[in-house]
Amino acid sequence: MSPVNISRRKGASQRLDIGGYLPAVLLVVLVGLVVARDPAFLGVASLRSVAVQAAPILLLAVGLTPVILLGGIDLSVAALTSLCSVLLVSWANQAGITGVAGVVALATAAGAVVGVVHSVAQVPSFIVTLGALGLYSGLSLEASDATNTPLAEGSPAISWVNDYFAGIPAGFVFGLIVLAIVGLMVRFLPWGRYLYAMGSAEPAALMSGVPKIRVRAAAFALTGMTSAMAAIVLVGRTSFGSPTLASGLLLPAIAAVVVGGTAISGGVGGVGRTLVGVLTVTVVQIGMVVIGIDPVLQNVIFGAVIIVAVALTIDRAKLSVIK
Amino acid sequence: MTLNDTITPDGEHVPAVRVPHARRMSRLLPGRIDQLAPVIMLVVLTAAFSMLNDQFMTADNWRTIANQAAIPMVLAVGLTFVILTGSIDLSAEGVMASTSICVSLMLANSLNSNDLGLVAVAGGIAIGAVFGLVNGLLYTRLRLPSLIVTLGTWFIGLGIASYVFPDQQPVVRDRSFRSWALGEWFGVSRLVTIAVLVVVAGAVLLRYTRIGRHVYGIGGAEDLMRLAGIRVDTYKTLAFVIAGALAGLAGLMATAQLGVGNANAGADRLFPALSAVVLGGTHLAGGRGGVLQSVLGVLVLVVLGNGMILSGVGPYVQQAVVGAVIIVAVVATGWGARDRLRVVK
Amino acid sequence: MSPLLSIEGLTKRYGRTVALDEVDLEIRPNEVVGLIGQNGAGKSTLLKLLAGVQQPDSGRLVMRGSPIKVRNPAHAAEQGIGMVFQEQSLVPNLTVAENIFLGRPNPGTAGGVYKWRRLNALAREQLEKTGSEISPSALVQRLSFADRQMVELTKVLALEERTDGDLLILFDEPTSVLSAAEIETLFAQIRRLKRRASIVFVSHRMDEVLAISDRIYVMRDGRRVAERDAAACDENELYSLMVGENRAEDYFLDADRKPYDRSATALEVEGLTAEGSFSDVTFSVCPGQIVGVAGVIGSGREALCRALFGALPTAAGRVRLRGEEVTMASPRDGVRLGVGYLPAERKHEGMVAERSISENLVLASTPALTRAGLLSWARESDLVEGWIERLGVKAPSARVKISQLSGGNQQKVVLAKWLALPHLRVLVLDHPTRGLDLKAKTDVYKHVRAAAARGVAIVLLSDTLEELLGLSDEIVVMRDGRVTGHFPDVPDTPPSSEELVKLMV
Repeated sequence: MSPVNISRRKGASQRLDIGGYLPAVLLVVLVGLVVARDPAFLGVASLRSVAVQAAPILLLAVGLTPVILLGGIDLSVAALTSLCSVLLVSWANQAGITGVAGVVALATAAGAVVGVVHSVAQVPSFIVTLGALGLYSGLSLEASDATNTPLAEGSPAISWVNDYFAGIPAGFVFGLIVLAIVGLMVRFLPWGRYLYAMGSAEPAALMSGVPKIRVRAAAFALTGMTSAMAAIVLVGRTSFGSPTLASGLLLPAIAAVVVGGTAISGGVGGVGRTLVGVLTVTVVQIGMVVIGIDPVLQNVIFGAVIIVAVALTIDRAKLSVIK
Repeated sequence: MTLNDTITPDGEHVPAVRVPHARRMSRLLPGRIDQLAPVIMLVVLTAAFSMLNDQFMTADNWRTIANQAAIPMVLAVGLTFVILTGSIDLSAEGVMASTSICVSLMLANSLNSNDLGLVAVAGGIAIGAVFGLVNGLLYTRLRLPSLIVTLGTWFIGLGIASYVFPDQQPVVRDRSFRSWALGEWFGVSRLVTIAVLVVVAGAVLLRYTRIGRHVYGIGGAEDLMRLAGIRVDTYKTLAFVIAGALAGLAGLMATAQLGVGNANAGADRLFPALSAVVLGGTHLAGGRGGVLQSVLGVLVLVVLGNGMILSGVGPYVQQAVVGAVIIVAVVATGWGARDRLRVVK
Repeated sequence: MSPLLSIEGLTKRYGRTVALDEVDLEIRPNEVVGLIGQNGAGKSTLLKLLAGVQQPDSGRLVMRGSPIKVRNPAHAAEQGIGMVFQEQSLVPNLTVAENIFLGRPNPGTAGGVYKWRRLNALAREQLEKTGSEISPSALVQRLSFADRQMVELTKVLALEERTDGDLLILFDEPTSVLSAAEIETLFAQIRRLKRRASIVFVSHRMDEVLAISDRIYVMRDGRRVAERDAAACDENELYSLMVGENRAEDYFLDADRKPYDRSATALEVEGLTAEGSFSDVTFSVCPGQIVGVAGVIGSGREALCRALFGALPTAAGRVRLRGEEVTMASPRDGVRLGVGYLPAERKHEGMVAERSISENLVLASTPALTRAGLLSWARESDLVEGWIERLGVKAPSARVKISQLSGGNQQKVVLAKWLALPHLRVLVLDHPTRGLDLKAKTDVYKHVRAAAARGVAIVLLSDTLEELLGLSDEIVVMRDGRVTGHFPDVPDTPPSSEELVKLMV
């Protein structure tokens, strides 16, 4: 049943669109804080470590952004990344670049299936992706027998990740390229238009003939694809695949998207903002070490950061009954 | 203009779409299949596994099943309250972790001289209740989606657990506390008795008290409950407090089983409990289902896991199967409610 | 006799639309007041203000001599005001007994513990007042619509025991889904209630209003236009008061009416049926023709319009577009086949409020604006600028959010979204002028006429008969999901409002 007017909703229509400048200001302030404590933070070595650390989060967050723009969520990205890491190691060891491409294709297909199930069966994305999370972790545990599997020496299909491109870690450059491509897709494809229309007013979008199933399937397929890409970067860095390799990345990735200013309620934001969010999250991670905050508190901080970021960006007027 | 109309924030009038009542009715009428599905699943699984394996239909094995079901049941009862209101609570694993560490340090243990006994037990439940209260207040006061709030507190709970965690794992030395897991009543672990009591209490609360009935009503039509002058936010918060307290209790139960305070006490607990609630037939949209259904859901999952182990299927494949089962179950139960213009995010 | 409730200068605005304009009414003790008016006349708004569902912008309510405020329906109930809602206010997954006493202290739920037997017995007592045999322990969602209406009524009647003073009970179209026998029961209850309550009764059916009311207020355009003693007036007088006589010929731009091509058909509907909404509907629309569909709430005309666009599934019948049979599984199919639909709920289904004018305007025709799969901004901007100019949309630029425009300009953009569709053949207009002021309405009429002149076949639903008669070339009347009347040549032999209303109710 649709909601009835409740007068207190009137005041709730105000929403802070922090997308414009606030996240960038926050990033600069954070960097300033860290630098004040440790001036060497802006040196090449430490910036490189920021870039290395940021690369997998960047890929995951870029893939998550369209899903969140739609107003959905994907809780399975990190588990899929772990699964991909396990598959990557064995397929890259056997088939080199073809194996790597195969993993990316498989993850893309898996994402597409999740998107189709979610939108055709009209089941909330969080529950479908929660199921997928269980499915992926089970499969990766089974495939790896719950152990770390090492990457064969000199797998060029993956080890390029550790090279430098113009002095920047290649994994991070790869993330930036993917970000740019997705940014262009959002801007120049009808799909991008549809993302925003469905995210801000799905009934109106449907009543204008927007192909909702295809739009959703594409968004989730992209999330699958970037999960596999994040796995490439992670495996390149650690030289092994593991069923828990990426389990700590779900929260930073979601945090990166919302801290960048993309509203969890959908329709507001973009991949450009996600870059700012990713850098913020990484600076927080590394900065905590520099400033001397107990790293075990990271989870507490990320949990709080997500709640605060969503509190600031959410469009309450749109969610008449918040569940 | 009708009651169902919406007034947008700037006051313009948006009349409700008139769903023809015949269709609306069919959507609201709970299909019998819905309610019977978990029972059928349970019977089919039991029959199949007893044919596949001689050991399945033995008293010993059912004792094992009961012991395995105890903690998931307690979690599922708590989750049921929240899901019945139409919200979600993902924080259970974090709550369990925090509780486990904190309580093991309050009980007689290997690291300090505390020996608070029952006070520590009450403290553990209180920690969970406070988590629930925080969830409920953040959700209702800040008007944030419960998914996000509890995702945040999930990790906050994990963080607190690792922050409080001392250098060594605290070993619980309180015998009477450990006897909850090690001792037996009626041939099964005492934890099973606790779980049964929780289930009965949950069922009574839902059926015979204002809290329970309002929880249903809020899930059914939150806006109308508000119009009737019911303090919806209070009852929603209460549902979270119940879920939090029960997650705290589950953390205690896990600690009693493990014998140590463990930041991983809750690891991989949320997903099966959530799956059980959904499998049992409690709708994520709220208003339909109940504690007894969730118990059925738990039993389906535990029997499935137990039977697979007896059939030689590894625990990892099990996890994958459960993931697939939940997707199939949610799709199957929601299939009839699909509509051309329905918006599901 | 001093009134039970005086309504003084009550005003309610939605944005720029004035739904209630300084309305004064008086409700005396122990009388039944009938309230009639067309859709949008302000009757329902008035009831909602009285019941506390919404708050007035100005004016005041004086009950039993002292001014009152009604914060919400629960607060209204405390003061002895109860409302029987048209779309019901029952919580579907709770029992009948729970709903009757929802939010009200009672011995069955004392101390927060439900004594079901006690509660059910109390509910049964209440249900007996309506002679209904509904089980108090049944879940509301399993009841028929009529039974639920009875529960709704019972819930309000239960106020009797709660307050000492006289009650005020508001009925918003209570009879529309009831059978004749149930209506008799309802009327008997109303007559019984009169001994200690005053009643406001809103209905489309003049005969009912005349039969049950002591006094009748007529509303039009948010104002109270007449007050009559029920004994001293007849249906015809009420009709003409309701419809008004202020129709100006050129307001509907009759001069712009172009002869349409009668040799071809753009849209043919044959025996179309949608379960629970309408059945066996047959009519056709020629290119350039405007066909109006008249009917009251529950006539199924809104559902028909949605079915023509693919937004509602149909069970039987055919739809042909330019002679070719089509099936539409979704609005997307409708759009692809060249059908546009301007929804009654502009804010909800018509526009994406947070996006620009430009994005809204091209939302339906985006595929036609791409080059090699990419958006062509130059083509888009040409198209958008063209339509903004043609429709006279007042906006600083096409980049501003559509939500920043006035309602009339928003509606123009939504209209342009469909007019910009290159292959538009049929345009379904569901209350296209709802909530617009006079100037904006005339603008919309102009563009609807222009679209027809371009050869677009138009199906029109309207809030007022005036508008329907003024714009349509042909009128189809619906009642209870069936076509009950057909006037093929409105401009030459226009039906009277009275004729239409009789077919509608």
